Amino acid sequence: MNNNKTTRALLGTGALALAGLVTMPAQAADAESIIRDRCLSCHTETGESATPFSRISEQRKTPEGWMMTISRMQQQRGLVISPEEKRTLVKHLADTQGLAPSETDGVRYLLEKEPNVVESFDQLVQETCVRCHSGARVALQRRTEDEWKHLIHFHMGQQPTAEFHAGARDRAWFDIALTNVAPKLAKDYPFNSDAWNNWQKVNKKSLNGTWAMTGYMPGKGTFDASLRVSKTAADNYTVALEGQYADGTPLSGEGRAIVYAGYEWRASLTIDGVKVRQVLAASADGSALEGRMFERDDEIIGGSVKAVKGNVITAVTPSYIKQGERKLVTISGNNLKGNVQLGNGVKMLNVVSRNANRVVVLAEASKTAKVGAINVKVGRTSAKTALAVYDQVARVEITPSESIARIGGAGGPIPKLKSAYRAVGYAAGADGKPGTEDDLRLGYMPAAWSLKPFDEIAQHDNDIKYAGTISRDGVFTPGDAGLNPERRMSTNNVGNLSVVGTVNDGNNNVQGEAHLLVTVQTFVKPVLQ
Amino acid sequence: MKHLKSFNKKAKMLDQATSQGEVEEVVAMQSVVGCTSVNDPGWEVDPFGGLGSLCQPMESDLYGCADACWWPAQVPDTMSSHPDWSQDVAKANEDWRKIDSIFPED
Repeated sequence: MNNNKTTRALLGTGALALAGLVTMPAQAADAESIIRDRCLSCHTETGESATPFSRISEQRKTPEGWMMTISRMQQQRGLVISPEEKRTLVKHLADTQGLAPSETDGVRYLLEKEPNVVESFDQLVQETCVRCHSGARVALQRRTEDEWKHLIHFHMGQQPTAEFHAGARDRAWFDIALTNVAPKLAKDYPFNSDAWNNWQKVNKKSLNGTWAMTGYMPGKGTFDASLRVSKTAADNYTVALEGQYADGTPLSGEGRAIVYAGYEWRASLTIDGVKVRQVLAASADGSALEGRMFERDDEIIGGSVKAVKGNVITAVTPSYIKQGERKLVTISGNNLKGNVQLGNGVKMLNVVSRNANRVVVLAEASKTAKVGAINVKVGRTSAKTALAVYDQVARVEITPSESIARIGGAGGPIPKLKSAYRAVGYAAGADGKPGTEDDLRLGYMPAAWSLKPFDEIAQHDNDIKYAGTISRDGVFTPGDAGLNPERRMSTNNVGNLSVVGTVNDGNNNVQGEAHLLVTVQTFVKPVLQ
Repeated sequence: MKHLKSFNKKAKMLDQATSQGEVEEVVAMQSVVGCTSVNDPGWEVDPFGGLGSLCQPMESDLYGCADACWWPAQVPDTMSSHPDWSQDVAKANEDWRKIDSIFPED
């Protein structure tokens, strides 16, 4: 407990990954008795078998969504519940009142803690909900129309100032929310859906076995690894990850995973001494796991990961070769057997090393090799358009293009929120003009990183001196929290910057820029933003 | 707008932003997940997609925002949800190191 009496959890969102070993029928009985014991001071039993508990039974959410609701009940409504009971309840509710995989399409970034996502929602939802929190937080819930209306009433009661914000005070905001927004949400995100009904009938596959995983971690680079998954109880697994980064550094870790709603994989691992989380979705056929892996204590430090079973190529690294160039190319995947074949104009000179998960070849592109993406084959396995043959790097995009970082540290309890960048190279394509539809994406390229003022105000205020620094790996670390007496009016170490990535391509340097706003802390750390 | 003249700094910035066709860029910065687009005033981003019109340093007026529940997803609202947040820290601009964030309960 800290000195300002704020309640904080040691496990936070990570608690999801550590839910207990409970079998399904026992879990359902346990969960319902927990609801009766803990929730009925306020909620009621309806007598309806389909919706037995008031409000609770008319919503569907992700595991994180249920976790967030129960946490709010603890913090603000006096709910007393043990961590074990809470985990049992989250598991049961996410399994029986969860979302189908298709219902999370396009908004998984919120579950995956993907930083710097620019959202674009319908104007009505944008003006009503997304003013304060993410749109994905809404889109990852399903409610009856009455329940959506209850949610609007809750917001008015809990945060009445919402009616006085710009965009609300100049019109009948509350009436619009009730009469226009609630029906729209009920239509777009309905409690009853074919997707969920059908998903509940699907016979879910066990995720037991050995998977080939590839991914990326800022500061470390791309990696491939073998993910061994062993079932310990229904939906519970132990996991072990063994592999290496592109530069040859080994990677090793182990931990536990739990699966919600038949596909939502949440794992906690310790990899080389660092605690990480995996938020992945299993495919319906149980052959792929996709999502994001990130450091538990620094969620920005993470990247996309994919794991597959069967005979599949997961990555070709680097994903580009220049006309006339000779270089090592690593093909990662599962059960990689047979001859390596590259496409027209690119020869495989020799195999440098190989095992079932990784084949390293020396490849050479002829000076006249056709510009375009070629297929890479190992035996009967093919990865389409996996290797881009190019003439020159015509432009570079920096991702993310719009980003924020937040000051922190300096003896305060809130850590700095970093941001991480990558450079994506493009060739001009057949028309010879960069920035047109036929540009050829080459993939992520190494870059030299620097910062510059975004505009004249940033230059005048000397933001570059105070707002932070960027590492050779493209990771930006913001400045210290607190007032800075060196700055005008003792302003914080905020800044409006451009992140510049410079890719070297033979005799040319090609630059791309991204916008970075270094801003103040957030004092609310929700499970879902 | 042609009969109106920008009078203060904020109005001049708005005039400049719209005249430069930078509106899309401004909207993008305010749509980054985690940032509020309540920008009268803004918390992370000002109405012009920058920092120039924010209350700075933010500690000087932090409680003015918390009490009024102005950005409840960024600053704990002491009106309803978190009445005890920061109650032991009388002056945020002096004792900002003692102010923690609100975490989910285990």
